This record gives sequence, structure tokens and C-alpha cells, in this order.
Amino acid sequence: MTSIAIESVARTFGTVHAVDSVSLSVRDGEFFTLLGPSGCGKTTLLRMVAGFCELDEGRILFGAQRIDTLPPHRRNTGMVFQNYAVFPNLTVGDNVAYGLRARSVPRAAMAERVARALKLVQLDGYASRWPHQLSGGQLQRVAIARAVVIEPHVLLLDEPLSNLDAKLRVEMRAEIRRLQKLLGITVLYVTHDQEEALAISDRIAVMRAGRVEQIADPRAIYERPATPFVASFVGTTNLIEGTVGGRDDGTIEVAFGGGVIRACGAANVGDKVVLSLRPEALRLMGADEPLPAGWASLTGMVGEVEYLGPVTRFSVALPDGTPLRLMALVPPTSPGAVVAYDPDRVVVMGAAPHGAAP
Amino acid sequence: MRLFLGRNAFPLTVGAIAVAFLTLFFLLPLLKVFGASILDNAGMRFTLENYVNVLSNPFFLNGLTNSLTIAAAAAVCTVLVGVPFAFCLARLPIGGKAVLLALAALPLVLPSFVSAYALVLLFGRSGIVTGALHSLGIPFDSLYGAKGIVAVYTLTLYPYVALPVIAAFKSVDVSVEEAAQNLGASRARVLRTLTLPLVLPSILSGGLLVLIEALENFGVPFVLAEDRPILSVEAFKLFVGETTDNPASAGVLGVLLVVCTVIALLAQRGILARRSFSTGTRRSAAVMPVSPAMRRLGATYCWMLVGLALVPFAAVVVISFMRFSGPVLQGSFSLDNFTQLFARSYRPLTNTLVLATLAACGATLIGVPIGYIAVRHRSRLSGLIDIVATSPFAVAGTVLGIGLVMTYSGGFLVLTGTAAIMILAYMVRKLPFAVRSASAILHQIDPSLEEASINLGVPPALTFWRITVPLMLGGIVGGFVLTFVTVASELSATVVLYSGRWSTMTIAMFQALEGTSAGIAAAAATVLIICTVLPVALVYRLLRRHELSMM
Repeated sequence: MTSIAIESVARTFGTVHAVDSVSLSVRDGEFFTLLGPSGCGKTTLLRMVAGFCELDEGRILFGAQRIDTLPPHRRNTGMVFQNYAVFPNLTVGDNVAYGLRARSVPRAAMAERVARALKLVQLDGYASRWPHQLSGGQLQRVAIARAVVIEPHVLLLDEPLSNLDAKLRVEMRAEIRRLQKLLGITVLYVTHDQEEALAISDRIAVMRAGRVEQIADPRAIYERPATPFVASFVGTTNLIEGTVGGRDDGTIEVAFGGGVIRACGAANVGDKVVLSLRPEALRLMGADEPLPAGWASLTGMVGEVEYLGPVTRFSVALPDGTPLRLMALVPPTSPGAVVAYDPDRVVVMGAAPHGAAP
Repeated sequence: MRLFLGRNAFPLTVGAIAVAFLTLFFLLPLLKVFGASILDNAGMRFTLENYVNVLSNPFFLNGLTNSLTIAAAAAVCTVLVGVPFAFCLARLPIGGKAVLLALAALPLVLPSFVSAYALVLLFGRSGIVTGALHSLGIPFDSLYGAKGIVAVYTLTLYPYVALPVIAAFKSVDVSVEEAAQNLGASRARVLRTLTLPLVLPSILSGGLLVLIEALENFGVPFVLAEDRPILSVEAFKLFVGETTDNPASAGVLGVLLVVCTVIALLAQRGILARRSFSTGTRRSAAVMPVSPAMRRLGATYCWMLVGLALVPFAAVVVISFMRFSGPVLQGSFSLDNFTQLFARSYRPLTNTLVLATLAACGATLIGVPIGYIAVRHRSRLSGLIDIVATSPFAVAGTVLGIGLVMTYSGGFLVLTGTAAIMILAYMVRKLPFAVRSASAILHQIDPSLEEASINLGVPPALTFWRITVPLMLGGIVGGFVLTFVTVASELSATVVLYSGRWSTMTIAMFQALEGTSAGIAAAAATVLIICTVLPVALVYRLLRRHELSMM
């Protein structure tokens, strides 16, 4: 149980900056997630911590101890692999005991710890089974038991749920979180699934092209994204680029082709900014319904409508053609639409230095 | 960049050992052969005279064309019989496929010159069948010469085509064929426009392997060619000085032979490298519904081919238990041939078993780590070592033997006449089996298993022993047995390298062939067949088809 400090770590493969000067610190006992699309460097970073990928620059510390110079087998990390990597030639019990044997744990203590670990993942009684007799979810549990039984400094999980079906995935992620809290262990977790990251993490680092875009807790990541990329990668949003036309007491007015949007934020007149409007923060107004106090509105024409059951998703084309995606409980009835929003919930970001979000 | 010496120590050590071994006992001998071919008799000056001499000699020129024509004919014939066989086995509802497959792989481990010898016993000038035909008044020309050699090659080498092509037919994604049928193509059209083009690389690659094997084979032409010159045999004769001791000319013939086989091997590698029709997930093609008549036809063809290939071996076994008076076969059974064979000495048998075991151990110890680094530590060096370690396949045993004698009969290391030089030759020649069977099985073991072990605190070298080796065991044992049985029936390098003390079963048979003791030769052949079939039968479950077909 320890904190992790990753300091200016970099790695290049050929001409690709897989990890580009990343610094972050994980607190003792924290559930920390690396989130990003495939190829963003999150797995490379995890493998650097485990020791399976060398660093070109920077250093990694567990607590005060530098570990990136240690060979992987001396780092005392527990890793759970995407494909489980349960040894097919060993029984479940021997799989879990494997790391304890490497640490020369006395026989009696070993049996006890293996039994406890299996119980922890609800596999008591499975010690003598063979891996090929187990289901995917059970193999996942073996992999987790095997990683936690050695009482590692940190637990590393590399997309551990991506091979499971949707229902089991939700079940297992709750269980991983429960285990982590029970053991109080520091977890570094890699996933490309933003819902999973939001559900499970204490804090999230969103990565893109080898760099960290934002580090924050799940709510802040979703509600206050720091960059257009984070806003669009985590959840669905409407990104609108515009120019600050006026400012007044904590609110700014941003002009773009389709009108003017009011937002709470600080920016200078003439600045180029990107606004993020989440679909659920937009409300379709009835014909002569009054705007809630402090809200503002845009007008446009209703475009595509997707009826999804509990909600209906549709788009509204603003006068310049910019589509706004939004959701409502009832499908829109008239072609013209008034879309209301709370300026408080509009996120203002600087025009992306890394280019516009995809 | 920081380098962990610990991480690179393993591949570097393996690489160093592999490079040292292959340089000393493979590249250096080949270089010596090449050197002999381009130096004058005193061995001092560069000259092309040897090449001019050999190539202007109609006898040797004839040998070159004979070798190439026969090998090309063998390649064509094996494709012609092997592809339909593969199609029937992969796509038609034929019974007993497992047995057919096992029997089809058998000729790969059986000594081909035994098959050639069986043909002599049956269809030779005083052969059993020839005699019977003549007594019935049917004229029959004996089978010596090119047609006999091609026939033996076809029957013993067709698995090189058939086995990979079966796999290729099976790996064609069925939805591709269904899409074609859905677009209106008839089944024949689908076969012609889609299926055959998709398996063509496997067919060509198998055909080229046959070409290589046929070019370098020594025993079959030795038995069947009579006076017609064949490169591998003539190189041997020139070198051991049946006519005159002539290392320069032997060197030229050796170089010509190696050039031909290496070109074929490079072509085969090129074809395999460009084969990239693979899709991610695939459903292998279902068995085709055909009329009962078609099914019976297919089944008959398969069983006939497999049977024909094995009949000569069965015939030799039967004949070995029959009484001979001189070269003439009598109609009664006895163990006389075996008594005579072992009356001289049991040494050839024990030598064969000892040499084959040691060579198989050596090839496994060197080959498995090479296969490992080739798969797990991809780099230019490991790729190069992999290519060099598998290229002995293309070098004729006679040529390697000649090179080893040239290199180690004097100088810093004298090995001629020892068992060591034979074992080294076998290790080099069979290294591809060990490397390929190791890398084949490694491709099926996910690297994250090793990482998981290291992550749990077991150092890399120990992880290799605890996790990798147990998981690879099937492949390692398979490679070991293949090496053992192919060494046991090895003739072409043995005939150059053996000394009286280290004579083997193949030499015993070879000597019996040169003499007139047909019975003893047959008995020796039977012992050889047992030495090869028995180990393979014991571990058949561990052997994979792609290991048998090798590349």
C-alpha cells in the first residue's frame, strides 16, 4: 500500500510518442484510472509501472522509493491482465499460490492466504479446479486473487473487464471497487470505457496521444472538462466554437454563426473559445412556456429524431446549420424549436491548442 | 535510453551460442566447399577453372540437368496428387480422416531410400513383380532411372504439399465462399476463382519444399539412378574418390546444388511472406455435401494414395522375413536376414540409437532457445538467426558432410572419424525441426502468461523454466522425436562422415545394397522402419501437423 509518483515519463516507439512527458501522482489507497482511446499511451504507462516497458525519460516512485530501475519481478506490483493470463498448467490454487512461492512464504501461511484470497473473490472451494473448467468471469476472479494475495504495493489492472459480456462487466466492476475499498489498496486502472471509469474511480486521468489532458474526480471530469477532447470523449456533448463578444460580471457572451450563447466563465473580449453544452443540460421549451430564471435560449429547426423508449434523442439545427444534440422525455411535436439552457452549466474552454476535438 | 542487461542477457546469450554454433558447423563448412570450388589445386590462387572444367564436362552438365528435371518433375507430380488429396480430406465427407492424416504424414519420417529399394526389389531387373510379369509374357521395362526416382519422390514427398494445403483449404473463411455463391457463382466457379487462388501460396510453397528435398536427396538416386549422373551422388563420388579424389570438382557440384536449393528456399519464403489473405475471425469451411458416388470416388483416391505410398515399406518388411539364397528370393519365411544382419555386430543399431538421441538432445537444446527468441524478442538479429537456423533444410547432407570434413580434418579442431562430427552434422541438419516446432507452439502461448509470472516475483530465467517450458513441452517433445527419427534414417551426411566404428543402420543398409545381400538390406530397412515409426506412434498425439510439414 503506497502512493505512486510518475515524473516526466516519456517513451518513443520509432517516431511515435507513446508516452509524452507524463507526470501524475496517485495517492495511497486511491483508485486511479487512466482513461483514453486506444493508442493514447495508457497501457504503455501501466506497463512502465509494472516494468514491462522501459522509460526513455523520467522516473517512477512508490512512496519514496524509485522503482523504474528495478526489474519487473522485484517491484511487488500485482497485475491483472486483459486476457487474465491464468497459467493453464496450474490449478486455481497453484495459480494463486504462485507469487507466494516466489516469495518463499511458509507452507502453512501460504495455504491460509490462498484460501483467504479465494474467499475474497468468492471462489472458495475452487482451489483444485483447472483453469479450463472455469468461465471468463471466474478466470477474472482467479487473476485478481492471484494479484492481491501477494499484498502488492499497488494493484495494476489493464482493461480487466473488456473480455466480459456487458452484464458481467457491471457486476465485476462493482466487485473490484468493493475489494479495493476492503483492502485499502492503491489501484492503477486502465480502461477505454468512460462509463466504467466514471463509475469506479476516485480520480481519472484522461489521456490522448501520449499526454494527460486532465486529472480530476469523475464529476469534475464530466461536468467541468478542461479540454474539448475530454468533453467529447467522456459522454456526449455539443461543442461550439465562437468568439467572446461581451463580458459582464462573471458571464460572457459568445457569438458564433448560429447566434449568441451566454456562459459563466472568465475570458477576454475577442478570445476564441470552445463551449460544451451537454444534451441533458438543454431543454426543449413548449410554445409559450416561460424561460426559467437566469436561463437563456437558442432557436432552430428540429432535425433527426430517435425514439429510444424512456427518452427521445433529437437534433436541432441552428440558423447556420450547426446541429445541437439534445434529449427530451417526449418527442418534439412542432418543427420549430426553442432550446433553453442554464449558462451555469455551459463549460467554457480555450480554443484547443491541440486542435479541435474529433 | 537505459538498458536492462538482465532483460537482454537471455536473448544475447542465446544469440551468441546460436551464432557460434552455426558459424562453426554450418557456415564455415559451406564456405570451405565454396573455397575449394574457386581455388586451384594447390589451394592458393583464385580460379574459375574448376567451374569451366565441370560445366564443360557433358557428364556433369548432364547431372545438373538430370537433378533439376527430376526435382521439377517431382514437384509437379506431388502437387498433382497432393492437392486433390488435400481437397478431399479438407472438404469431402470421408470416413477415417484422422487415420488418413496420420498415415499421410508417415512418409515424412520414413527413410525414402527404403521406398526406392522396395521398388528395386519389386520392379527391378530381377524384381518379384518384374519376374512375375515376364513369366506371364508381359513385357516390362524396369523402373531404373528418372521415372523410378520421380515415382519414389512423388510417393514419399507428397505430404509436403498435402499437409499445408489441407490446412489452407480449412482456413478459407466459409463466409467468403458463401458470399460468392450468394452473388450467383456456381460451386465450380467458386473453387476456381476463390478457393484455389487462396490456397495457391500453400501449394507453391509445398511444391518448392519438394523441389528442395528432391534436389538434395542422396539415397533415392543412389539406389535407382544406376549410371545416370545426379548432382548429390556425383559430388559424393568425387569427394570420396571413387574415381579420383577431387575436392575442387566436388566443391563445384556442391555449390551448384546449394545455389539451386537456396534459390528454391528463398522463393518459398517469399511466397509465404506475401501470403496475407488472413482475416481476423473465421469460420472454417463446412464439409461439402456431395453425391455418394463423388464421396466414394474421393475416399477411394485418398486411401489408394496413402496405401500406395506405404506399400513399398510394407513390402520391404515382409520381404525381410523371407529366405534369400544370394539375391534370389525363396518362397519361405525365416529370421535368417536378421540373424545375418546382427551376426556381424549390433553396433550399427546401438550407434544409430545413441547418435540419434545425442543429436536430438543437442538440436533441442540449441533450437528451442532460438525458436524462443525468434518469437519473443523480435529484432533484426533474432530474425536473422531464425533464417540461418532454418536454412540447413536447403543444404544437401552430402555437401554439409563434405564441408565438415574439409574444415575439421586438420587445423584448430580435428573431428573427422569421430562420433562428434556426425552428431554436429545431424544437429545442424535437423535444427530447423527443433526451431520450428518450438516457435510454432510459442505462437500459441500468450506472452502475458510470462509477464504475469514475472509480475508475481519470479525472475525471467526462472519464469522460462516454470511457465514457458511446461507449456511448450508438447512442441519440444514433438520436435525431439522428429529430430530423432529423421536422424535415425539420415543417409546423405552419414555416408560422407561415418567411420567404421561409428557405422549406423543406414550405412549397414547402404553397404548391403552395394553388395548383393538383398536380404540383409531388407532386414536393415525393417529395423530402420521400426526405429522411426515406433517413436512417432508413441508421441503422435503431441505432434502437430504443421510440425510434420515443418515450414
